[in-house]
Amino acid sequence: MKPVYISAAAALSPQNSFDADTLLPDVISSDNGKLYVKDTDYSKFINPVAIRRMSRMLKVGISTGMKAVQVSGVEKLDGIITGTGRGSMRDMELFLGDMIRLKEEALNPTYFIQSTYNSVNGWLAMQTKCTGYNQTYVHRGHSLEMALLDAKMLLHDATEPQTYLVGCLDEMTDEYFIVKNKIGYWKKELPNSLQLLQHSNTQGSIGGEGAAFFTVSNISANSICSVEQLKMLQQPTAASVQESIDNILAAHGMKLKDIDVVLCGMSGDVRFQQLYTPILENTTAHTTVAAFKHLCGEYDTSTGFAMWLATKLFQEQSTHEVLIQKKGINPAINNILIVNHYTLNSASVVLMKKTS
Amino acid sequence: MEDLKLTLKQQIIESLNLQGMTPADIDDNAPLFGEGLGLDSIDSLEMMVLLERNYGIKIEDAREGRKVLESVASMAAYIEQHRKI
Repeated sequence: MKPVYISAAAALSPQNSFDADTLLPDVISSDNGKLYVKDTDYSKFINPVAIRRMSRMLKVGISTGMKAVQVSGVEKLDGIITGTGRGSMRDMELFLGDMIRLKEEALNPTYFIQSTYNSVNGWLAMQTKCTGYNQTYVHRGHSLEMALLDAKMLLHDATEPQTYLVGCLDEMTDEYFIVKNKIGYWKKELPNSLQLLQHSNTQGSIGGEGAAFFTVSNISANSICSVEQLKMLQQPTAASVQESIDNILAAHGMKLKDIDVVLCGMSGDVRFQQLYTPILENTTAHTTVAAFKHLCGEYDTSTGFAMWLATKLFQEQSTHEVLIQKKGINPAINNILIVNHYTLNSASVVLMKKTS
Repeated sequence: MEDLKLTLKQQIIESLNLQGMTPADIDDNAPLFGEGLGLDSIDSLEMMVLLERNYGIKIEDAREGRKVLESVASMAAYIEQHRKI
């Protein structure tokens, strides 16, 4: 399949990723096992009449998508494709809570309407006046990857220049944290988030959330980077992750030493650490191995945060020391491999290349 | 009646999350939709829920609902006649 090109990226995350001009100017940490999105002034991106009804995550998703469109300068989108593992959790919890409290009588329509998975896509379409393709993928840990694959297939078949807005969002609520805690998602003894990876000998991670959007096109002009290949794995093992990396590199005539940075989704959970062992063992002195979940927490679509990081690394041509697990000697950043997982059900490998 | 209008305005502001507005900003007779407060169809659903939850009033006829929701004054008059709570 042909590569696709990213011309703009935006992310709202627990870090200062949205308003800052540089990569991680100040590193934000947490001691309570939860990394929440750092808010911005949403009224800059959303119609003031509409914003009063929106939950926090709707504002986060719409603002992120609108910023990517603004930065790209694209006047007409051909479609909007979003991935979310959980949609708008807060609105859903409010709606279900009201159902119980009010015995299914006189329920507020707003919570119901906006708790649907595709509400962010709908709002983005209205705000950008995009009447084209509009799709939301709800595929747990592969939600963003499915959205990206859809965009790649559409652009592969396109005979004219096209641009899609592709992105993801996921929200963490207090109730979600409590429920997932009962099934062992989070660490029993919570370290400071920046120390997460030093606690990779115990089970559990820390909770996170975020949104990331990208303008994705089939033309390379004015792009930051390309997404060359994307591979999704179900029930991944260390061997299947390694095999996917080998196959992707071989398909592009590359060796592991040609990768300048590997962005790994290590979550500090001993059960999933094995997925990254081959990378840590097989990368040579050329490649920098970096991690990101101690900055954004664990959530279904954290690959979006990694892809946003990749675009910043390409633009700045330097890494940030808070990311680095193993420093490589390659002087430039031209090729980045993202390897990520979400529980033992899903993993993905994404190869990105600098284009400008 | 004046007390009811004031309460109604406070309930509308809270229910529709009209940030920065006070009851004094809402004219009793100004239209709630269109050029008045600029409310939309989802707001009308929220106000139907407000009437049902706070006054026990269920409006099943859309035409009647439209007349009732014209202004705070029309809502208050309807509530005075039909309230069950």
